[in-house]
Amino acid sequence: MKFGKRLKQQIQETLPDWRDKFLSYKDLKKLVRLISSAPLMLNGSLEYEKSEAEFVYLLNNEIEKFNAFFMEQEEDFIIRHKELQQRIERVINKLGPEGNQPSETDYEEEMARIRKDIVNFHGEMVLLMNYSNINYTGLAKILKKYDKRTGGLLRLPFIQKVLQQPFFTTDLISKLVKECESTIDAVFPVAEEEKIEGEREGITVAGEGIFRNTVAALLTMKEIRRGSSTYGHFSLPPLNLPDSDLVQFLQLNSSIPIL
Amino acid sequence: MEARPALSVQSSGARQLSNLGASGALSSSLPVPTTLGEKYPKLPDSQEVSMERKLMPTPLAFHSSLPSNSGVVGHMFSSSSGFSTDLHFSSASSHEKHSRKAPFISQSSNTGSSVPLTHSCHSGLLQSTATIHCMGQSNRSSWCTDSLPDFFDYPVNTPGQNNQMESSNSGGCVMACEDLSKRNDWLEWADQLITGDDSLTSNLNELLVDTSLADPESKMTYQVAKSSANFSAHQPQVLQQLPAPHEETCAVVTPSSSSNGVPTKPRMRWTPELHEAFVEAVNTLGGSEKATPKGVLKLMKVEGLTIYHVKSHLQKYRTARYRPESSEGSSEKKMTSFEELSSLDLKTGIGITEALRLQMEVQKQLHEQLEIQRTLQLQIEEQGRYLQMMFAKQKSGIDMLKASSSTLENPSAELTDAVQNSPSKNEPGVSQVNCRETKNDQINLTTASDEVSRKLGEKQKAPETKASKDLEANVVEGSNAQPSKRAKADE
Repeated sequence: MKFGKRLKQQIQETLPDWRDKFLSYKDLKKLVRLISSAPLMLNGSLEYEKSEAEFVYLLNNEIEKFNAFFMEQEEDFIIRHKELQQRIERVINKLGPEGNQPSETDYEEEMARIRKDIVNFHGEMVLLMNYSNINYTGLAKILKKYDKRTGGLLRLPFIQKVLQQPFFTTDLISKLVKECESTIDAVFPVAEEEKIEGEREGITVAGEGIFRNTVAALLTMKEIRRGSSTYGHFSLPPLNLPDSDLVQFLQLNSSIPIL
Repeated sequence: MEARPALSVQSSGARQLSNLGASGALSSSLPVPTTLGEKYPKLPDSQEVSMERKLMPTPLAFHSSLPSNSGVVGHMFSSSSGFSTDLHFSSASSHEKHSRKAPFISQSSNTGSSVPLTHSCHSGLLQSTATIHCMGQSNRSSWCTDSLPDFFDYPVNTPGQNNQMESSNSGGCVMACEDLSKRNDWLEWADQLITGDDSLTSNLNELLVDTSLADPESKMTYQVAKSSANFSAHQPQVLQQLPAPHEETCAVVTPSSSSNGVPTKPRMRWTPELHEAFVEAVNTLGGSEKATPKGVLKLMKVEGLTIYHVKSHLQKYRTARYRPESSEGSSEKKMTSFEELSSLDLKTGIGITEALRLQMEVQKQLHEQLEIQRTLQLQIEEQGRYLQMMFAKQKSGIDMLKASSSTLENPSAELTDAVQNSPSKNEPGVSQVNCRETKNDQINLTTASDEVSRKLGEKQKAPETKASKDLEANVVEGSNAQPSKRAKADE
């Protein structure tokens, strides 16, 4: 139930629109339990096939749900990405030092807004990737459970199909994320003093929204990958976040208060 | 209205049928009536089951659809009643279209009359199934497939003309392609109109969950068929659509059914390049407010793109442009971190910049970890697959050995043969090397997969993985030991 709980936590902390788009892990688990406990096995392969078919049907529905949501978001992101780029260009060309109507205050103001938007945009995309990953993990787990409990051989071929699904092929989003990062680095170069200042202060982060979500996601990921009783060949190794003040901060603040 | 049913090549239809794994008995079970109504009840069970779910809601429509079938597959699977009028309409207009685009087709269709609707009707249907299957399954953006020419056998009415059709088809492939892609645009488009299909879809899903090859394709067909049933309503608009040339910028329409067996509206997966083309088209037309979906679609000239895709994308685009604040966060309730942090600002004294920087840090971390995790997951499955394959090979090798070793005559000769026949690398007469190589492969696999697990984590969960690895190695050794021993003994 560990993953189930983690998933539930994630869902609770996720952006509100996303809440119903996640894997119905609990329900699927119930089904697996039902299938394995029912005396269907005794009745021969036909019953078994039927229940497997039903299970597969539900899984496919879930996958379709992920795909639809994912591609919808992806489309939005593509549009927003382009818009941000254009916005930056416009601002630089108009209000920047070498622009048509240079105005430092306006420029700063606009840039601040853009910066905020880009960071949030970046965050949302990363959260979408997290969405993809956590659903995949859930699928893998439930398939493993199914095989274990019913003696089936569903997992391996099925997971191969899942790997091809749009919701799991996150390359494009990843690319956009990296582009965002480079844009930020280019347009908002970070002064050294800023960095040092920030890390010294104790910070409490709170509230709904992207930041909290991201932190939650990181921590959840770590938790999920901690060793379990069924750790084996097909398990991921424990998560090791690179050592840094940031990480320590995260660990200290794992229970994120709401302001 | 002339009937141009999907009758074509009965024999090729049967071929396609067997390819699809659908009941081969189909063609034989269908008599050659002149009226369609009689035919359908005689569908063989498996096919019926497949079609039945779809047809349940409107079995009559299905029955009545054939006489006026204009050669589009979907009509046979109509899920709408009052269908014949649609068909009349559609057949007339498709005929029109055909006569413009594919003279050879329309020519033969003219000669066709009230057709002896033979079971080739179904073969034709299933041909298109195969066609669409090919399309759906292979590279999504390539609409032209080998079986495509067959698709346009439809207009041919009598089996006798089939040969003629087939030969002329190869020439018409390109046009067929375009037509087909257009037609499929309609199908997708029309499909998107279909509402309240859930019961049908779920029945269909339930039925077609088999992971066998046939099903994803048939699902695709049913979906396509379903949608084409309604496409007639959109004839006027569709006809104005320019034929999409075969370009590299083919829209990637995700036939989701082809991979997981769930028939749904074909989803468009947008890419930045596609979006660029879109933006260009919009700008050419005078901006996002002035541009119309139809115009944009025309300008973009991307295969597989439907007006519905463009419409929804345009809507999103408009929202993003004119309300950048609200588009950044879809709901107002969702607080941006900036707002939170600005309130924090007062409490902790960190600058907004700093807060953003911190946020960025966390996000980057998560991203990195996600990437790594994903790579690992992919690798793990890859290993798993390979392992399974190796085990299977190993097993078949062992089985063969066991089989041969049970016979008492000429054990050595048979053994050598058996070992040489084993799927692992074969070198004549070097049976031992064979076994050893297999074993080594096996162990290499387990080692490799272990390494994958080892990759990121500092602590390797050594005991468990090692145990399983040892277990596997033992199994391998055990099974290999036998043949080696035997081989040795016999030499």
